[in-house]
Amino acid sequence: MHFDLIVIGMGLTGLMAAKTAAERKKKVLLIGKGFGTLTLFSNTIDLMGILPEEVPVKESLPLWIEEHPDHPYGKVGMEKIEEALSSFLSFFPPPYTFQSRNGANSLVPTGAGTLRPTYLIPSTMMKGIGLREKKALIVGFKGYKDFYPHRFSDLFRCRAMTVDLEEAHGAEVSATTLARWMEEPSFRQRLTEGIKKEWKGEPLLGFPALLGLRDPMVVRRDLEKRTGASIFEIPVLPPSMPGMRIFNTFREKLIRMGVTFLLGQSVSRLLLRGDRCEGVEVAHAPLVNTYTGERILLATGRFIGGGLRADSSRIEEPLLGLPVTQPPSREGWFEEAFFASSGHPVHRAGVVVDSMFRPLNEGGKPIFENVWVAGTILAHHDSLYEKSKEGIEIATGYTAALKALGG
Amino acid sequence: MEKELWPRNEADLCIRCAACMAICPVSRVTPLFPGPKQAGPGAQRFRRPDEPSMDPWIDLCIGCQLCDMVCAAGVPISELNLIAKAKYLDEKGRPLRDWLLTHTHLFGSLGSMFSPIVNFFLKNRAFRWLLDVTFQIDRRRVLPAYESPTFRQWFRQHRSQGEKKVAYFYGCFTNTNEVDVGKATVEVLEANGFEVVLPRQQCCGIPMLGNGNFRGAHKIGAKNVPPLLEAVRSGMEVVFSSTSCGHMIRHEYDHLLHLEGAKEVSSHLFDLMEFLRNLHESGHLRSPFQKTPLKVAYFAPCHLKSLGIGFPTLHILRLVPGLSVENVEAHCCGLGGTFGFKKEKYDISEEIGRDLARALSAIEPDTVLSECEGCRMQIRHLTGLRTLHPIQLLRDALSR
Repeated sequence: MHFDLIVIGMGLTGLMAAKTAAERKKKVLLIGKGFGTLTLFSNTIDLMGILPEEVPVKESLPLWIEEHPDHPYGKVGMEKIEEALSSFLSFFPPPYTFQSRNGANSLVPTGAGTLRPTYLIPSTMMKGIGLREKKALIVGFKGYKDFYPHRFSDLFRCRAMTVDLEEAHGAEVSATTLARWMEEPSFRQRLTEGIKKEWKGEPLLGFPALLGLRDPMVVRRDLEKRTGASIFEIPVLPPSMPGMRIFNTFREKLIRMGVTFLLGQSVSRLLLRGDRCEGVEVAHAPLVNTYTGERILLATGRFIGGGLRADSSRIEEPLLGLPVTQPPSREGWFEEAFFASSGHPVHRAGVVVDSMFRPLNEGGKPIFENVWVAGTILAHHDSLYEKSKEGIEIATGYTAALKALGG
Repeated sequence: MEKELWPRNEADLCIRCAACMAICPVSRVTPLFPGPKQAGPGAQRFRRPDEPSMDPWIDLCIGCQLCDMVCAAGVPISELNLIAKAKYLDEKGRPLRDWLLTHTHLFGSLGSMFSPIVNFFLKNRAFRWLLDVTFQIDRRRVLPAYESPTFRQWFRQHRSQGEKKVAYFYGCFTNTNEVDVGKATVEVLEANGFEVVLPRQQCCGIPMLGNGNFRGAHKIGAKNVPPLLEAVRSGMEVVFSSTSCGHMIRHEYDHLLHLEGAKEVSSHLFDLMEFLRNLHESGHLRSPFQKTPLKVAYFAPCHLKSLGIGFPTLHILRLVPGLSVENVEAHCCGLGGTFGFKKEKYDISEEIGRDLARALSAIEPDTVLSECEGCRMQIRHLTGLRTLHPIQLLRDALSR
């Protein structure tokens, strides 16, 4: 089949790029070898977590960008960053939407018992902000090993309880099982009864983020009605149910928009002719399927997604062999301290692009006429340290797709 | 199971990220199955070919392959599970029930010939109770009725004509239980100028493979490959209307069963809707469809998803004027071939299917479309809605 745009990578970057092109009536192939890291790590939408909580990012981010012109945000610009975020938000109309507090970063309590700065917060997590000043009861589940309510409550000086669920039969329960049970009114009734046994009238109830996959706001509202308390979700270890909600929403809408959605397929080779990439080959034993396209957008992520690969001495980009800017030797990859205050240099490695998001060779010239690169695979950012992962994905996925389409 | 078939130690590719845990339909509904991460690469590290199987829960893997699809590390999780399941069942022994469920092709033509009597028994509560207590085939499961004449018998009276020949692998269920799917396929292909040819064929073997019977599946597959290869070598493409049969022949015949000639067949074997989409893409789809003011829900079977061809049915259905198509946002229907017939697995099967039933009740469709006979069976069973293979709707929408 032939496409206007082939997007490689099904993380948030690829999903945003596919959305952007499909909304402009382009014929899009979205191909990903698995779930992106969205379903692992993403709960909230980070934009630039290191910026202060008191100042709206609309004021602080442009100044930061000015000081970091090489950063992917420098190539997007504030105006397009805002455009991209509203495009993302258009897929999430209320009640389950994402919002900031006063346009600035806020601190969200996490399952590790820490406070984490982030920008856009799902509606189900809003009431957890400022938890230290409130009286809360934190609820965990017996057999669910990815959240320990008592550790959390020790650090936040509130109370905690563990509910013993009859339906778990004393076995382990996974996040998806709990999220599914949460969608059952009868389960919520039994849960409420269990909670009321230890509840001392705290106005706030905190749950690990698994209040259902489809309609978390319905689940929350119902639990609030049954208990009379306000309820919030706490982001926990993978898999991330809030990340799944984002992925599922994109998948549903993109398929409806006619995007050809190939999940579980890995691109084995790109078809190159001169300075053009004419398509992709997808190995699916014993076959090799070929898809051709006018434009190719690479959004393959970093090490977990396979966009970058490292051996003991070098980091490379495996699909096109694009140059990867990186420390001169392995000795320069890491700082001595694991939690080094400025982050580790290895995380700033990546593919260098021009203002059009076309990959550049060592001489600073575009390598291909019709290949664009977006997302965390790009060089000159450290999304772990900056807390900017989703922001970079949304902003560059959107902008690179626009550039690819000549916008 | 021969030792040389054991996979390389791909379990070590697993980075324990839990993406598979986010999708597994079985572990979502029951704590009895530890989930793909644990059952696949987790347990694989402790498995040795010469030591007894320690995986009594491995039989609960439904074989949907959704875990493979979401794994970014490329671990062949469902394959690890299938091989472990084969070893477990080889050692433990298989009940007669499993033999019956995986050999229905042997009594299909008898079932069809005596369909009035057979169907009476299949519907009969006392008979189903008997099956339940003697064979552990769950009495709540409605057994599919047989039709007469079979598709093949019907086709013998039918003179197919067209400019170009195409071969058709219809599968057992179309032949003896849903003959109209075969008729519709023939009609739509003929409307596009194809003469339909039926190569000699029998059960594709997926029920056996799904039950970990590699030897049985290999034996049966070896009978299917030569006639298909003959069709291919005489210049024909082969289409299939059942995504499960198709996935089996296209991918497992070569990859898991190492059948000679299977690879050559694969590259000329197409899902029926993929074949129509390719015709449309190249500007050769002839059938202009008439206005069909219906609201349909489309459910993509697991084996369609693992074919990796996108959603060709949605592509084609969107060409039908007046048709409102909703893609059902649910994973696996829960039937899992023979899985949902087994007494000890029925509750799990129904519980998985409830998510699909719920998604359907939100859509309220006139008809539910799916390429897989198992999915259609499960949807009818759980919702009572009318189900069709998409090709039946397309046949009805043909302008004549």
